[in-house]
Amino acid sequence: MGFVLNAALKDLQRHLRDPLALALWVALPLLIGGLLTLLLSGIEERPPRPHLLVADEDGGVVGDLLVRAFAAGRARAFLEVEPAETAQGRERMAQGEASALLIIPAGFSRAALRDQPTKLVLVTNPAQRILPEIVKEGLDLVVEMIFYLHHLAGPELHQLLADLPDRREPPSDDEISLISRSFSDRAQRAAKYLSPPVIELASTADQPSSGGPAARTDGVAKHFLPGILFMSLLFMAGNLSGDLWRERDQGTLRRAACTPASTAALLAGKLVASVALIFAGALVVLTAGMLYLKLPLVRLPLAALWSALAGAALFLLFLAVQLYASNQRAGMVLTNCVAFPLMFLGGSFFPFESMPAWMAAVGRNTPNGWALGRLEEILFESPTAGHLAGMTAIVLAVCGALFLFSERRLRRAFVRR
Amino acid sequence: MIEVENLEKKYGDVTAVSQVNLTAEPGKIFGLLGPNGAGKSTTIGCISGLLEPSAGRIRVLGHDVVLERRAAREKLGVVPQELALYEDLSATANLRYWGAAYGLRGTELAQRVREVLVATGLVDRAKEPIKRFSGGMKRRLNLGCGIVHRPRVLLLDEPTVGVDPQSRVRLLEVVREQVEAGTCLLYTTHYLEEAEMLCDHIAIIDHGKIIAAGTLAELRGMVGERDTVRLAGRFDPAKARGAIGQIEGAEVVHAEEDELRLALREASQKLPQLFSALTSAGAVVRETTVTRPSLESVFIHLTGKELRE
Repeated sequence: MGFVLNAALKDLQRHLRDPLALALWVALPLLIGGLLTLLLSGIEERPPRPHLLVADEDGGVVGDLLVRAFAAGRARAFLEVEPAETAQGRERMAQGEASALLIIPAGFSRAALRDQPTKLVLVTNPAQRILPEIVKEGLDLVVEMIFYLHHLAGPELHQLLADLPDRREPPSDDEISLISRSFSDRAQRAAKYLSPPVIELASTADQPSSGGPAARTDGVAKHFLPGILFMSLLFMAGNLSGDLWRERDQGTLRRAACTPASTAALLAGKLVASVALIFAGALVVLTAGMLYLKLPLVRLPLAALWSALAGAALFLLFLAVQLYASNQRAGMVLTNCVAFPLMFLGGSFFPFESMPAWMAAVGRNTPNGWALGRLEEILFESPTAGHLAGMTAIVLAVCGALFLFSERRLRRAFVRR
Repeated sequence: MIEVENLEKKYGDVTAVSQVNLTAEPGKIFGLLGPNGAGKSTTIGCISGLLEPSAGRIRVLGHDVVLERRAAREKLGVVPQELALYEDLSATANLRYWGAAYGLRGTELAQRVREVLVATGLVDRAKEPIKRFSGGMKRRLNLGCGIVHRPRVLLLDEPTVGVDPQSRVRLLEVVREQVEAGTCLLYTTHYLEEAEMLCDHIAIIDHGKIIAAGTLAELRGMVGERDTVRLAGRFDPAKARGAIGQIEGAEVVHAEEDELRLALREASQKLPQLFSALTSAGAVVRETTVTRPSLESVFIHLTGKELRE
């Protein structure tokens, strides 16, 4: 045991001689996570608006109503409407300057008011996928609204606007008064169906399937914190596992193999030093993240301990990978080949919530993805002691198996090569 | 004491060493010489326990290095040919770590670290990261890390390679101190004059086999090497050849009017006879130099190549 501590102390001293590397292992994931959080938070606050060009060849009341419907009230927040000539609009569409071009053909208002077949032309930008769809859906809604309006108040509209499309002048006060009274009568008759509404929209949000009071903090950063932490753990574990190659190349590993100290003690010393550094790194990331998210810091020690335990398993996993490499460079390449897919699938670059279902399912079953899920339970829920003991036992068993495997490989092949 | 009996080490079909037998005594230095790839490092690797012998037996102070691995290693100190140190750490931290690896703890460890720092002349730079050290200082520390636990058996693999004369002198002093303290020492080197100066017993290994072993004198005698005598003065080459030819075992290698070179055994004992013969032949001798056969010449004679090839 004495030598294990001595070996751990030696490795800690060596690693602390290079504080920049240590800081980078923690800072890089924080930087990446911070940028991703900022990026996605920005999208949430100000979503991109479709840009709609409207070429009104008709110039009638209904066409005008249609354009105003897009440009008025809440719709303005989702849609940017700009009038344009047809030819100019088509040219701008060809240059990809707008999401869609709506052409209201001549005679549209007359046909619409007289319930005659007519059509609107919508030209969409093939380079955009979602924004033109928003325009199309919105237009469908407005067209439908005009249809129902026509059926509800057809006679009054007909009476009022029989010759309106041709004269292009607003109706007189008397005409409006007459129409208003008629609309009012119809509205009162329909009120018993409309007010109070017999159909109520119930809005619900998914709640966590287990756990006590929901302590999850809203916001994008919440989804990123565990991922950032595990990115940091993967960086640290991968780099620390490469230290075995440095020892081998500088001859200290062979020298150590000639001493009475066992390779198990040597490896245990490395593990202790690595776990201590991983714990410190996790503590930094977690403290920063929990303060930012205003999470209760009482969960910090348990979260940091779990991170250190998961980090130990990842360190041993990478160590096993390194021990099969032919040289230090190959070792780092192999480690990165394992680490980056794990980061990507395991929720470090993108939260599971933003992944396709199949990918999230795979990711949650990767070693880091599984451990990340348990960390989320610790941070945002209240796992029972039994559950904690169970998951700890699983990681300890994995660590034990990986340790035995690595020690055997180290003793029998790696040192003597 | 190191006892090696019929050591054999194979890597697949390749035999690195075969039928190696040697015995190194306490308080003495056993030199193991051989060209590159001869099997020296394999032999040392097997003795240190780093490599497992394919056949044969090795005992360190009576402990079998395979069967009683821990007991054998506790008594053993190894100084590898390549520097095996932590460059980021100080000399003190390096010594502490290697001392701890051999079981030293607490005050005993601290005391030994101080002693070794003094012995290797590194006290003044003890707390500096050793990456700032010169090559010679690192070599001294490399040796220090091998003796910090007071080993009773010490394996030194080319400990003075590439060091400055000052460091070399210090290193050899430390080696002699170890021997004086009763340590059994196995020493490999490329510097034959170092082996001649230090070693009590020498084995020459080539192609994985020991081809000669004994004291330096025994090795010289074994290969029939003759002393060289160089005489400066005034000679008649023809008369000189005739006079020398009457001395048993003497051969004129080179004869000029001002220089004569001869080869003969036990030259120092035959000098009076030599001078008498030359004087009667009318020669005047002003200067005489007797050179004994070197280990280098023995080595070339046995292996057919120079040690550094």
